[in-house]
Amino acid sequence: MTPEYTVWTVIGMLVVIGLELFVVRSGIFRRAQYWCALAICLGFQCLVDGWLTKLSDPIVIYNPEEFLGIRFPFDIPIEDFGFGFAMITAVLMLWQRALNHRTEEAP
Amino acid sequence: MIAAWDGLAGWHGFSHWEYLALMGACVLITLPLEFVFSARVYRRLPLLLKSLLPVVVVFAVWDIVAIARDHWTYDPRFVTGIDLGILPLEELVFFLVIPVCALLSYEAVGTVIGWTKRHTTRRTIADRPTRTARPIHADPHPPDGGDNR
Repeated sequence: MTPEYTVWTVIGMLVVIGLELFVVRSGIFRRAQYWCALAICLGFQCLVDGWLTKLSDPIVIYNPEEFLGIRFPFDIPIEDFGFGFAMITAVLMLWQRALNHRTEEAP
Repeated sequence: MIAAWDGLAGWHGFSHWEYLALMGACVLITLPLEFVFSARVYRRLPLLLKSLLPVVVVFAVWDIVAIARDHWTYDPRFVTGIDLGILPLEELVFFLVIPVCALLSYEAVGTVIGWTKRHTTRRTIADRPTRTARPIHADPHPPDGGDNR
């Protein structure tokens, strides 16, 4: 059985990608600006999440039965990056959609 | 709740603020993006709230269900102990702070891309030999015909 956090993370990523492609259509996936910002955020996630999940003194303690058990880098459960991707992409697509509407109204 | 205010009494209790302090550090470190890189995220508050609130709600619900289903827990030593139902205050702060950091990064990257574009445009214009840029004393009938359109 695939652990639940793993399943939810994959679903979360697919839902956000689907929302962007078929519903929100902000166009962020076609922008270098989005991919650069995503790379920067995931880079900083390694530091912040690394601190939260460090096995020497964890702030957040994961149930080993609910995730794959792969921790990389540091002690970060890899599912966290899917969670991060979904959250960051969601807020950026809503922001960009609002900006698009604003420029449509402007002229 | 009691543990948190116990912590205020002595420095040894600082550990209860650790998670919140980490979130505070995220806010401080990304703050220059708003001003130095003209992100204009905090200064467009209605736009910010409109994009942020749905994300906070959805991911807080995910977190609450995950806590309820025992996907993860929090070490009581590193949180204030202030809970909203079963959701630690720190997690709500996380869902506010991290998306704002992402928006600041996105807008700052946009600003930098804008700078680069303007720079290359200016260079391209300067490098292009245009009619008006040609020196007026140039030979009107150069040997090669001069008309290389």
